[in-house]
Amino acid sequence: MLISCPFCGEREVAEFEFRCTLEERGATAAERLYFRLADPRRSLEHWQHVRGCRMWLELHRDLRTGRVLRTASVPVPPADGTGS
Amino acid sequence: MTARFRNPTGGSVDRSRTCRFTFDRQSLRGFAGDTLASALLANGVHLIGRSTKCRRPRGIFTAGPEEPNALGTLDPGDRQIPNVPLTVAPLADGLVFASQNRWPSLRFDLSSIAGVAGARFGAGFYYKTFMWPAWRWYEPLIRGLAGLGCAPKIGVDRPPRERHLDCDVLVVGGGAAGLSAARAAASRGAKVVLCEQDSSLGGELQFETATIDGRASSRWLIDSERELRVAGVELLTGTAVVGCYDDLLLALCQPAGYPGEADELLHIRAAARVLATGATERAIAFAGNDRPGVMLLGAVERFAARFAVRAGNEAVLFANHDRVYCAAQRLREAGIRIAAIVDPRARPELAVLEELERGGVRICNEQVVEQVLGGHRVSGVIVRHRDGVGTPTRISCDVLGASGGWTPALQLATQSGLAQRYDAQLGAFIPVSESATVIPAGAARGKLELAAALADGTAAGAVAATAAGRDAAPAERPALVSADPAPAVMPFWRVVGGDEKRQFVDLQNDVTVSDLRQAVAEGFREIEHVKRYTALGVGTDQGKTSGLPGAAILAEFLGKPLAEVGVSRPRPPTRPIPLGVLAGFRGAPGTVRPVRHTPLQADHVADGALMEPAGLWLRPRYYRDHGESLAAAAEFEAQRVRAAGGLFDASTLGKIEVAGPDAAAFLDRIYLARPSGIGIGRARYCVMLREDGMVLDDGLVLRLAAQHFLLTTSTHAAAAVLSHLEYHAACSAAELAVSCTDVTDAWAVIVVAGPRTRQLLRKVLPPAQWREPLEQLRHMDFHCGKWQSRPLRLLRASFSGELAYELHCAADAAPPLWRALRRHGAPDGVIPYGLEALDILRVEKGYLTSAEINGQVSPYDLRLDDMVKRSAPCIGSGLLARPALHEPSRPILVGLVAADATARLDAGAQLIAAARSTQSLGHVTSAVWSPALGRAVGLALLAREFAAHDREVVAADPLRARYTKARVTAAVHFDPTGERMRL
Repeated sequence: MLISCPFCGEREVAEFEFRCTLEERGATAAERLYFRLADPRRSLEHWQHVRGCRMWLELHRDLRTGRVLRTASVPVPPADGTGS
Repeated sequence: MTARFRNPTGGSVDRSRTCRFTFDRQSLRGFAGDTLASALLANGVHLIGRSTKCRRPRGIFTAGPEEPNALGTLDPGDRQIPNVPLTVAPLADGLVFASQNRWPSLRFDLSSIAGVAGARFGAGFYYKTFMWPAWRWYEPLIRGLAGLGCAPKIGVDRPPRERHLDCDVLVVGGGAAGLSAARAAASRGAKVVLCEQDSSLGGELQFETATIDGRASSRWLIDSERELRVAGVELLTGTAVVGCYDDLLLALCQPAGYPGEADELLHIRAAARVLATGATERAIAFAGNDRPGVMLLGAVERFAARFAVRAGNEAVLFANHDRVYCAAQRLREAGIRIAAIVDPRARPELAVLEELERGGVRICNEQVVEQVLGGHRVSGVIVRHRDGVGTPTRISCDVLGASGGWTPALQLATQSGLAQRYDAQLGAFIPVSESATVIPAGAARGKLELAAALADGTAAGAVAATAAGRDAAPAERPALVSADPAPAVMPFWRVVGGDEKRQFVDLQNDVTVSDLRQAVAEGFREIEHVKRYTALGVGTDQGKTSGLPGAAILAEFLGKPLAEVGVSRPRPPTRPIPLGVLAGFRGAPGTVRPVRHTPLQADHVADGALMEPAGLWLRPRYYRDHGESLAAAAEFEAQRVRAAGGLFDASTLGKIEVAGPDAAAFLDRIYLARPSGIGIGRARYCVMLREDGMVLDDGLVLRLAAQHFLLTTSTHAAAAVLSHLEYHAACSAAELAVSCTDVTDAWAVIVVAGPRTRQLLRKVLPPAQWREPLEQLRHMDFHCGKWQSRPLRLLRASFSGELAYELHCAADAAPPLWRALRRHGAPDGVIPYGLEALDILRVEKGYLTSAEINGQVSPYDLRLDDMVKRSAPCIGSGLLARPALHEPSRPILVGLVAADATARLDAGAQLIAAARSTQSLGHVTSAVWSPALGRAVGLALLAREFAAHDREVVAADPLRARYTKARVTAAVHFDPTGERMRL
């Protein structure tokens, strides 16, 4: 799999590390953690270019084909993990 | 001297280079260019091994990687390589190999004679017997029989190279279709790589005689190879593509044909891939079709054409298509007498038939082979009418060439995501070409005739080049071909009637027609279930010759069309790969995997330390001068720390600086224990949680300045913690101005621990600058200064329970500082200590490591309730209120003390209430022999409801048959009030 890093360009997946899928719905951390929609056509994920620029990226991925549909740096603060 | 079954001329072996080899202590000879199989056949050796379940004698069945039977162990001994297909492995001078699955010898196998194997292993045998109590009786017997070959005792010491390849077009398969595809793509300017699993190109063209554009096929092959090289195509022979993963293909290059030093693992990324993987000849099920001497027709032909080896002197051929007659002609030319051709179809209109009959070949149309005669080798066959009418006749022969048609090799197409459909004319499934970047071609798509394969390959190459962004070019003129006619296959899977327990479908797993019938009778309907129940096609050969016939016979028993039943899904790897090849570089000396040394590595080695890998790091485990054994040295070192003092290299601790106007607020969100409350010059023990509330890591947080902190992490968690911080700095705390920097390598950490610590430091640290801090630093205070004009941070903190200081110094200053400490400490008995002693000291004090912080514990489980209470809301704290985290069955940290003074405790042992209990209440996380207490002590995670102090539990280690009674205590075993570290 190739991932296009907005800072470094197209790189091999081995340079990146996956952290989590994001669930945009769900008010509490527990809901986001345990009650996911898991749409395979459009998985929203956070990855880090850990063996590169170390930036955090937001990936839209089609899990059926493994294709990366869109990459962006993480500027948007999503809901925090404090559960408050 | 030429071997008995080798023709004096012909083939592509090098007769000038004789190779001596040993098979089961028998010395034999072959030529360079032979495979092990062809060399054995040249010497008339047909009995190669025994089958895994029934222990029936087996021979060579194919001439390629699809071989189910002829597996051998190469280089028997500690480094042996089991399950090498002899039909692939090339011969080399001095090679030693052995047969498998026999005891005491190949010719005389006790289990086959005693009948302990054989018929008892019917379909679903394991499912029916893997049950208590019957399993208790079967187990010793089955353990002895189970498995293919034996694993080596010593791992791969020469890991393979790994190479990453990028190209426009990858062509898999170097037969007629693959070569034309490569040429077509290359002529359009595409960068082309071609992988061929065989050691030479050509595929079927290696033995099928044909003319292409007026040239003999052998000439055409040579010309094509040259043209491709000139066009810059990378030709990788001896390279099998073993799997397709997303847009990456994994190929194994084995020029030696078996795992060896020249292996190479290739990761190939191609814009388009042409799958010209050809078709595999398939078997027919008839009684005794597993006897040595029964082979695929194509194998008999290939041995004759490529190696000039006659698989026998007198052959019977049994096939359901027209190509068998052309093959018979070629085999006669190679000196094999054809006794008969048995064909279940009506007599076809072919000129070659009369020619064969004039040559004395008996043509038996509408006939089938009912049974094979012979023991260790075919001696004849019984032929009868396909409907059972008339009298069976006996025909003598020493080889039987059987062919049930061809199955397109779909493995890679399926793995690439292509669908498949049943082609009735072919009697097989073919891939549906629906992708612009994955293009099956040639026989892999059912184009069995040479002309069609060539044209299909050319077209596929052009499509692939276009998909890779190369210009379209005018279509090429199709080649003028004269070759074998279309085979006109009539699907024919098994000879009906006779002993179905002797009619083998899958030779490697001894799956018979009877097993399939039984599976259907027991209610199995799906091909995937039948596969798992009967083991059809689960072997190292992945059922390449047996998968489709098995599915077809199943379809017959189910009364469904084969198209509906389908075939089981072929998964990677398409052929066996030694695990060592995939494990690759890991830890092997002289490879590119980095090793991290602390600045004190050379000093540890000079002091005789046994260095132990911890992740990428090497850390001293103990110093050999300190005791005769690991245990003795560790005990000595630990005692010395408590009695005098010790030095420990803690440089592997992760060190992260966090700075910025919002650094304190940021850390309040990361850690429990509210780091914003730490005073400048102070340190605090803090714990961070994952988002789900489980403890991620612990460490000290030092406040260097109002907006500047230093965090230490566990050695193994350093990378994860840094990513965790960076993640939250970028996401959940994006509004905070903070930056995180890894400074692990910039700072070395030397721990000085023990009652004589302060007097040692007085000698080493210049008094002008350091006397005052040394006398005044309280527990968890630190002072920043210089030593020999390099930065030094003196932190008073303890992981041993003794008075102790951490000396954080610039990495380059560490060796002189360490040596100064060693020199001045030696007269007082201060010695360096390793990880084992560290473990003793910290378990005695109940301090935590990753053994306790195992990713499954909450701060409450570690009795950090007070820390949680003092915290601001932080990552993970919101989920700590979950009721399940407070249930009485949830484990909590306790100490354990062995009841018996001489008993040992084992880390990992399960805790049970009484000796015979089978219910686990928790487990021992860490256990040491404590010199301070004179007993085995440990830490454990034990269910809260059983965690009352002084309760007795049993630490059960059934694998080592050790059951130790232990008393539950507080986690701190030694100096519970902490007086010693406040000296």
